Parts: sequence; structure tokens; C-alpha cells
Amino acid sequence: MEGEDGSESQQSRHPAGTLDPATQKRHAAMIDRLANLHQSRLQQSAARSASSAASPAFESVAAFLTRFDESGRAVEAEIKRCRDLSVDPASAPSLKPELEKVAASIADLDRLVAENSYFLPTYEVRSSLKAISVLKEALDAANSELLPRKKFSFRNKTSKKDPICLVKEIEEEKGPSSDKRVLAAVRDSPGFRNKEGSILIKHFRVSEEEEGDFTLSGLNCCEIYLKGRLRALFIHRLTNCRVYAGPVLGSILIEEVNDCLLMLASHQIRIHHATATDFYLQVRSRPIIEDCSAVRFAPYRLFYEGIDTELRDCGLGEETRNWANVDDFKWLRAVQSPNWSLIPDEELLGTVNVSDVKEQCEDK
Amino acid sequence: MGLLSIIRKIKKKEKEMRILMVGLDNSGKTTIVLKINGEDTSVISPTLGFNIKTIKYQKYSLNIWDVGGQKTIRSYWRNYFEQTDGLVWVVDSSDVRRLDDCRLELENLLKEERLAGASLLVFANKQDIQGALKPEDIVKVLNLDSMDKTRHWQIAGCSAYTGEGLLEGFDWLVQDIASRIYVLD
Ligand SMILES: Nc1nc2c(ncn2[C@@H]2O[C@H](COP(=O)(O)OP(=O)(O)OP(=O)(O)O)[C@@H](O)[C@H]2O)c(=O)[nH]1
Ligand SMILES: [Mg+2]
Repeated sequence: MEGEDGSESQQSRHPAGTLDPATQKRHAAMIDRLANLHQSRLQQSAARSASSAASPAFESVAAFLTRFDESGRAVEAEIKRCRDLSVDPASAPSLKPELEKVAASIADLDRLVAENSYFLPTYEVRSSLKAISVLKEALDAANSELLPRKKFSFRNKTSKKDPICLVKEIEEEKGPSSDKRVLAAVRDSPGFRNKEGSILIKHFRVSEEEEGDFTLSGLNCCEIYLKGRLRALFIHRLTNCRVYAGPVLGSILIEEVNDCLLMLASHQIRIHHATATDFYLQVRSRPIIEDCSAVRFAPYRLFYEGIDTELRDCGLGEETRNWANVDDFKWLRAVQSPNWSLIPDEELLGTVNVSDVKEQCEDK
Repeated sequence: MGLLSIIRKIKKKEKEMRILMVGLDNSGKTTIVLKINGEDTSVISPTLGFNIKTIKYQKYSLNIWDVGGQKTIRSYWRNYFEQTDGLVWVVDSSDVRRLDDCRLELENLLKEERLAGASLLVFANKQDIQGALKPEDIVKVLNLDSMDKTRHWQIAGCSAYTGEGLLEGFDWLVQDIASRIYVLD
């Protein structure tokens, strides 16, 4: 590697003398550019290795795991050494700096995972974090057993109030006026709330600057149609509902839905506490589920006049196939989560055409 | 050379600040970090573990830890408390329903002894959304005025979507930390 550094050695490898002057010139210019590029790469990689030698990007799961294991074992050994050290009173003064070094090593393990997490599978990230967590607990335990008790800081004393008292105080200090304002704000935010057996239709026809959020909450046995673009959508406590919605520029947050069908398009979709629900999605990043069971996924199949343009304007025009790349935050293992599945072809809905659905038939 | 000896060679650089970004999931932490770093924000997944970014800001080097806020992984937050100079609490100002959750999580965080000295910047994010609560409202709902008087804190309305307010917020945070830590130069 070192031998390739200089531009001279590169130039000498080219038989430049046999070419016409114009070609020679272009050739020289190209070699110059390459040399510059090479030089800047070298500088970059030197800078990189100086600033993050502790966490090189391995880009290979096996190499990462080997390094992670080695480092993790080294930390364990260090903690053990500190414990051995503490037996001898003469080495007591060196104990604190030693333990601090262990803390630094653990912090670097954190960094190692963080900087490699972009290519690591979910499972490896989670299990590495778990391992680090265990090491931190071991260090905490060693700290509190081996070091003389730290003096409490002034601030700590003032905050050592009975937590129950603290909560009470906060509630009292919250004047009724502030409460009302917040509640008013809750009511004001646009949405369909607390309905049963209704058909709910909303068409957003606003300019980009006026885009807002919308909430669906406390709905039972309803059919909901949202046409047009939105910036954020909140869905909360739906039972036995069907929701067909146009593109959402930001994110959709879904909590506590059950026995529903949701057809949604958005940059991000987060699903918490859902059961027995089918999701037909178009989504730019990976959808995530947390505390869900029997949820199923399929691609978005909604149509109304203008939806293609709306999708494109929201950056949702391309099929990413991310509807099938669900991350389950409650499933630590590398094997498929039992909480979700894909909807089998024979059960898939065809395109749902909602062109004829108009706002005036609300609450039919 | 073993990893540990390599690690020890990397001394904490001068003028480095460690910033911890936390808040409920979906509040916009990752978007904020990428935006101030001038990176593409069009495809961001919910954060599964955490991301670290080192950003040059004025004459300081900010070491920003952006930790995922999904419920399952909030218990990992405490792994990142050590040596935090600045705490950024990000709020989705349009997610009114979860503001209670948001307040409780923040209260828990501020009880943490290891974060006692950290400056606190609260970002009332997503101000671009019609109907989002204003920063003044967020102060009330989160009860920020009744915080421990020794805490340095600031609220800043922002939109990670448009970028508005982000620099003002970080300016305050960096100045506040600098005035405490690098007061001698
Ligand atoms: N309208 C609007 N949307 C935003 C803003 N900031 C973030 N978002 C959207 O909110 C969603 C969540 O953003 P993230 O940055 O992933 O949130 P996070 O806090 O990192 O979430 P976790 O990693 O799960 O903790 C994304 O879809 C963003 O596009 C904003 O200022 N305005
Ligand atoms: Mg994130």
C-alpha cells in the first residue's frame, strides 16, 4: 500500500511518451485528478483511523462479532482484575482510575456497536446492546462495592423529596387555566373521535403550507375515508374499523387497534398494541411494531382521482417493498417474529377505488 | 496491539461536548440530528439502538448521541447518561395525547443523578404542523417552570422538517455548556 502513495510512481507506470500531445495532456490531467483523489482518500482514512480507531467499520457481521466478543471479554477481565486489586489495601488509590478506564472501555463498546449498526442485522444490534448493558451493571456493582461511598451533591439533597409529594405539588402548581388551555388544544386538533357505526369521510384540499395533522380516536365499527395529503396522522383505539387514507408526508402513529383494516401511505409507520389487524402499506422506511400480535401486512392498493400525483409529491411514488420489512421491537431473535406475517395472495384485497366517496354522505 | 490499548490512546479531545438526545419515539430526534448536519432526511427509520454523530459546531466538537425512544428500548437510555454535558429533550408538539407520557419520562430522566449537571434544551418540534402546540404551551404541560432551580434549561420551538429554530436551540445549548465547562479560556 505505502508504495502507491506518490503520484510519481503512478505516472511512471504509464507509457505516456508514446501518445500524441493532446492525449498526453488529458492523460496527465487524469492522473493528477486520480492522485489528488487518492491523496484525499488517504488523508480521510488517516483522519478516520485517528478519530475512531476504536471502532472501525468492519462491514462484516462475523468480523464485528469477533471483535465485539474479544472486547467484551477484555472488559470482563478488567472488572475481575479490579476486584482482585481491591483485596490489597496498598492498591486502593489506583482502583478508581482503573474502574474509570473500564467505564471508558464500555463507552467504546457502545460506539463500536453504534458505528457498525448500519450494516448489522437487528438481532445483532439488540443482543450487543444487551451484552453492553450487562457489562455496565457489573461495573456499577463493582463501583458501589469497591469504592468508598460518594458524597451526595447539594442538588441530590434537594431532589430527595418524597416522590409522591412531588407529584402532588406539580398537580397543584398546574393552575386550572393552563389545564383548560391544553384541553382546549386537544379538542381543537382536527379528527374523528368517539363514533360508532358511522361512515366518516374527510377530503383535505389545502395548500402545502397549511397541511396539518389529523386524529382518529375511539372509533368502533366505522368506515373511514381520508382523501388528500396530510402531514401527520394519529390513530388511537379503533375496533372493527376500516381506514383508507391518502399519503401522509411525515409519520403515522398507531396505538391500540384491533380487528381492523388500515390502508395507509407514509414516510414512517409505527404500530403499538395492535391485534388481529391487516395493514396495506406504502412506506419509505421500515414499519415497526411493538407489543402487537396477529398483525398482517400487504402493499397499498388505494385509488382515487389524483392520488398518484399526491403520492409522488409526498415522495411516496416508488414501491419500496418496505411493507414486507417489518421490525418487531419486541422480538429479539434473528428468526421471523411470530407476531406478524404477510397476507397470503388468496386473501389480498384488490385495488380499493374510493373515487365515488364524497364528504356529504357523512354519518349515513 | 489490543483494542483496549488502542482505545486508551484516544484521549478525550479538547472542546468536545457530549450531547444526549432523548424523547418519545416519533418526536423527531434523528431528523433533527441529520438536519443540522446537512444530511438527507427523506428516509429515516425509527431508531433501533442509537446513532452517534460528531458535528463541528462553532469551535466545538459535538458528540451527539441520538437514542431510540420506542418504549421497549427506553430502558437503555440510562446506559448513555455518563459524562453528558447537554441533554436535548425532543417533543412532538402535535402529539397532544402522549404529552402526559412525555412529561413523566422527562421527570424520570431529570431525577437521574448522573444528569444533574447537564444543561437541558427542550425542542418543541414539528412547529410546521398546523395545530401543533406552541413552545409556551409545552412549557406548561411539561411543567418546566417548576423544575429544580439549579438546572439550566431552555425551550425552543423548531421544525426539523423546515430546519427552523434548530440552530437557535443548539446555539443556546453550546453557549450554556461552554460557559460552565470552558469558562477558563
Ligand atoms: N411535519 C414534521 N414532521 C417531522 C418533524 N420532525 C420529524 N418529523 C417526522 O416525524 C417522524 C419521526 O422522526 P424521527 O426523527 O424518526 O423520530 P425519532 O425521535 O428519532 O424516533 P425514534 O428513533 O423512534 O426515537 C418522521 O416521519 C419525520 O419525518 C417536523 O419538524 N415536522
Ligand atoms: Mg430516531
